[in-house]
Amino acid sequence: MSDIRTGYIEAFQKQRAKSREAARRAAIARFGELGLPTRRAENWRFTNLRPLEQRLFPPAPAGTVPAATLPPLYRLGVPSHRFVLVNGRFAPALSDMGDLPLGVSLRPLAESAPALAPALDAPFLRESNPFLALNAAFFEDGFDLSMTDVVAGEQPSPPPELDRPIEILHLAAAANPVSLHTRNRLCIPPGRRCTIVETFAGSGPYWTNAVLEIAIGDGAALRHIVLQDEGKEAVHLGHRRIRLGAGARYDGFTLALGSQLSRQDTIVTIEGERAECLLNGAYLLRGSQEATIATLIDHAAPGSATREVFKGVVADRAHGVFQGKIVVRQAAQKTDAHQLNKNLLLGRQAVVDTKPELEIYADDVKCSHGAAIGDLDENALFYLRARGLTAAEARRMLIDAFAGEAIDLVADGAARSYLRRHLERWLAAREE
Amino acid sequence: MLEITNLHARLADGREILKGVDLTVKAGEVHAIMGPNGSGKSTLAGVLAGRPGYEVTAGSVAYEGRDLLALAPDERAREGLFLAFQYPVEIPGVNNMYFLRAALNAVRRQRGEAELDAGQFLKAARAKLKLLDIGEDLLQRPVNVGFSGGEKKRNEIFQMAMLEPKLAILDETDSGLDIDALRVVANGVNKLRSPERAAILITHYQRLLDYVVPDVVHVLSHGRIVRSGDKSLATELECRGYAFLDDAAAE
Amino acid sequence: MSSVEALDTIGPLGQGYKYGFVTAIDAETAPPGLDESTIRFISAKKREPDWLLDWRLQSFRAWQKMAQPEWAKLRIAPIDYQAATYYSAPKKKEGPKSLDEVDPELLKTYEKLGIPLGERAALAGVAVDAVFDSVSVATTFKAQLAELGIIFCSFGEAVQEHPELVRKYLGTVVPQGDNFFAALNSAVFSDGSFAYIPPGVRCPMELSTYFRINAAKTGQFERTLLIADKGAYVSYLEGCTAPQRDENQLHAAVVELVALEGAEIKYATVQNWYPGDAEGKGGIYNFVTKRGACRGAKAKISWTQVETGSAITWKYPSCILEGDDSVGEFYSVAITNNLQQADTGTKMIHIGKNTRSTIISKGISAGRGQNTYRGLVRVQPKAQGARNYTQCDSLLIGDRCGAHTVPYLEIRNPSARVEHEATTSKISEDQLFYCRQRGLSQEDALSLIVNGFCKEVLKELPMEFAVEAQKLLAVSLEGSVG
Repeated sequence: MSDIRTGYIEAFQKQRAKSREAARRAAIARFGELGLPTRRAENWRFTNLRPLEQRLFPPAPAGTVPAATLPPLYRLGVPSHRFVLVNGRFAPALSDMGDLPLGVSLRPLAESAPALAPALDAPFLRESNPFLALNAAFFEDGFDLSMTDVVAGEQPSPPPELDRPIEILHLAAAANPVSLHTRNRLCIPPGRRCTIVETFAGSGPYWTNAVLEIAIGDGAALRHIVLQDEGKEAVHLGHRRIRLGAGARYDGFTLALGSQLSRQDTIVTIEGERAECLLNGAYLLRGSQEATIATLIDHAAPGSATREVFKGVVADRAHGVFQGKIVVRQAAQKTDAHQLNKNLLLGRQAVVDTKPELEIYADDVKCSHGAAIGDLDENALFYLRARGLTAAEARRMLIDAFAGEAIDLVADGAARSYLRRHLERWLAAREE
Repeated sequence: MLEITNLHARLADGREILKGVDLTVKAGEVHAIMGPNGSGKSTLAGVLAGRPGYEVTAGSVAYEGRDLLALAPDERAREGLFLAFQYPVEIPGVNNMYFLRAALNAVRRQRGEAELDAGQFLKAARAKLKLLDIGEDLLQRPVNVGFSGGEKKRNEIFQMAMLEPKLAILDETDSGLDIDALRVVANGVNKLRSPERAAILITHYQRLLDYVVPDVVHVLSHGRIVRSGDKSLATELECRGYAFLDDAAAE
Repeated sequence: MSSVEALDTIGPLGQGYKYGFVTAIDAETAPPGLDESTIRFISAKKREPDWLLDWRLQSFRAWQKMAQPEWAKLRIAPIDYQAATYYSAPKKKEGPKSLDEVDPELLKTYEKLGIPLGERAALAGVAVDAVFDSVSVATTFKAQLAELGIIFCSFGEAVQEHPELVRKYLGTVVPQGDNFFAALNSAVFSDGSFAYIPPGVRCPMELSTYFRINAAKTGQFERTLLIADKGAYVSYLEGCTAPQRDENQLHAAVVELVALEGAEIKYATVQNWYPGDAEGKGGIYNFVTKRGACRGAKAKISWTQVETGSAITWKYPSCILEGDDSVGEFYSVAITNNLQQADTGTKMIHIGKNTRSTIISKGISAGRGQNTYRGLVRVQPKAQGARNYTQCDSLLIGDRCGAHTVPYLEIRNPSARVEHEATTSKISEDQLFYCRQRGLSQEDALSLIVNGFCKEVLKELPMEFAVEAQKLLAVSLEGSVG
């Protein structure tokens, strides 16, 4: 394992990144100190990082973007502003940003990075997470969406709601092991609203290590839908850091289907009063897949609400992990937070670990969590078979209903049908 | 017994609900307070009982010559003021009999009477239940938990009968009750009537007043008492509705 | 009717910690510090066989390589393990043969604590083993129990009289190196209780141990071993108190339960060690390892605990459900007021088929108290048909306390059905007002509501204990509402 650590430090020394030299050096030094997490660390106790411990994924070199086409499978199917990254770098040929409305900017982070520089290093400095440090040492590109404020009386004033959803595609194709470190930003200023659909897909032995920072201003709202459908050999680590202002609303959904090993780490900090955080998702695992959903929702301001529902279907020898924590600080009176994790365990060797956690320091709150793990309902299966369905059909129908219930939480119609299509695809593939 | 003078009260959010209520209730009297939804009836009951969440901004309430508003809610209760709640509160895990005996003994201590042990209490409770025609199973259930609306109201009346308050305030105890339950409520109040006691019936309908004939009927509207009269005022309201009051309040 | 009776016993509040007195007694005490010679000293004092001395020394060597655990949500002042005293015994010439021979000062202490020794014990129908600082001072009802083949005695006596049983089971549920505090206990444990219920015997009375820490700067390390042979039944009660002292005192006990095929053990604790004063000065550090193994089919172990005392509580009474169809239960009430901290919960390890477990936890935080439920439910691959239901409720009183819920669910069998539910809420203003409108004072209203909140757990306690627990809840919450 120390070879792996050295390997990344050596890879750093070979890289030729031009910008942010001091920051990159500090970041790799930090990574050197931290090394890869071990399972003794409470936050990593359930995540099996063996694929990252066993081999080195050198950062994908610049200028190796393969000529890729846009797979129809990953088209949202409604008019959108489309931004595509291939192997961690902006791919203008595949992107179609269309006419972005007034005051909206969607561009490669490589362009905006120089202006953003010190702020970009904040996440890895605040946290002892080696993957954030590695990302800070290596990232060169990503997407950067920003909007101007809605100012009352300003002429011409932009409409609060973006006209079309924004599609972000992170595509990867690798013949040899590479790591893709992207830094992405979403900044929704006060009063604005938009919908983002992000997809991760690819093939080959690559490692996605993506960092996304989201800031949602007072009264602003973001619908954020993520499909993680990375290739079979891939490792996916997604780190989201979300800040909510007063009256802001984050409505996030993740459907995790792909990769050998994946971990989605989301930290939401509720900084303003009466904000709303909806954090939902589903993970469907088979074969020997490993997936962790780790969420931390930190209520630092009063009167806010959280609704969190994650549903897992874990088949074969797969391992699903849910670690969800809700913190209510002393100032966050009148918090209303509910969390639910339900799992279907379908294989004799399938494993589920779940740790829903409440940490509460304010008294005038309503908080609850629940977790449940079980097999398909025998009575329901029998009922369906008594109506003439085969055992396989009956099982599929119940699994579909179980996961579909989570997907129904997605408010945006186009995004919902997009995720539905991928759910059906997963169920069909399972039967083969 | 009760002397309310120019009472003003508002909610925590600053909305003023009572805007100068004047009311005098003498021992032996039964007063009915009627009025449309939002007129301040429940606020008045809440302020008299000391419910948190209201702020008295002006006026005074004298109860048996003492400043009622200076007393804590439990002191008021021990001094003989009883509020039958519009929405009786559920207390999981606490046995109804256990609860009521604790309450009764607190009141009895205040009156300088001996506390009742479990046996004496049970005897007294059974007698009252029988008198009021309420089932005995009520005693063994947790306080109001899983009670139907009617059972909750009967439980309030049963508690009132046990505690024998000097001044009983019934906050819409009659709403949503069938005729049998309504009789239980009326019976409870009538049994308590005596020259030393008084009652205030807060109600939206005059139906209850067919069973408990009040000495005085008041109409509360927009936070003030706009009309007072005898039983016939209730009948008039029943026929004409509350709409005509708006003119009175607008004066 | 039971709850009506209980009402009478909710005494007036305002008496504070009433077990804070110190008994003036002539004691034989080991010099402070811990090394192999301390262990040899303890073992020699107790005239232990060599195998037990070796077992202690092994434990000590394991402990030396371990570090105090830091994963609990507790702030613990550094503990100087060399400053404590590891053995303190009331001086006596010979072990008491009957109650008449026990130091009258000691008996007075137990009288003050309300423990039924002697004749009062007979009336109450409770057999009591009392542990004062490090040694067991009296065991009542021994003769009657012996007629049924039940062994109930101090741990030290069991080592002398029933070495084969002690040797067979000691350390089989909580191994020597299980954790830091268990290793420490295994090295230096002084006394404790031992019980063995032979096959098919239903123990006719509650067995009970009262633990008392008296001497200053003394750690208490008792060890309890309870074995219910095939088809046997026993209900066991444990109570704890300590004097009021300004320094923190260490209590690191180990309890091992073994239930063989078809046996049932109910184990109840009312823990009321001195919690420290309102500013958090003093109080017991309570680091306890309690674990039971259901070793045969249809065995059952049920833990009930009411934790009101101690400055720090670190305690996870657990069940290892090895036998098919075996059952584990955990019922807990934990209160933290002032600056008390509790990190407590359970582990249910499902190994056998169709094993079932239930966890009901009620946490109450007041003042600046911090209360954490930490629980593990693990279903092993072969635990076909395992079931668990967990309900954790937290109640907050005041805005400076904390309530935390940290469940771990590790499921390795698809036929398992595991459900966990938790809620956290503030004490209801409506309930308080309703009670006060009926004439109850703020504090009585609070204790009434809290007792209702804990009802599901309290009803698991034997009657006398339930009454005591209700009183303790009320006393523990004193001053928590303004």
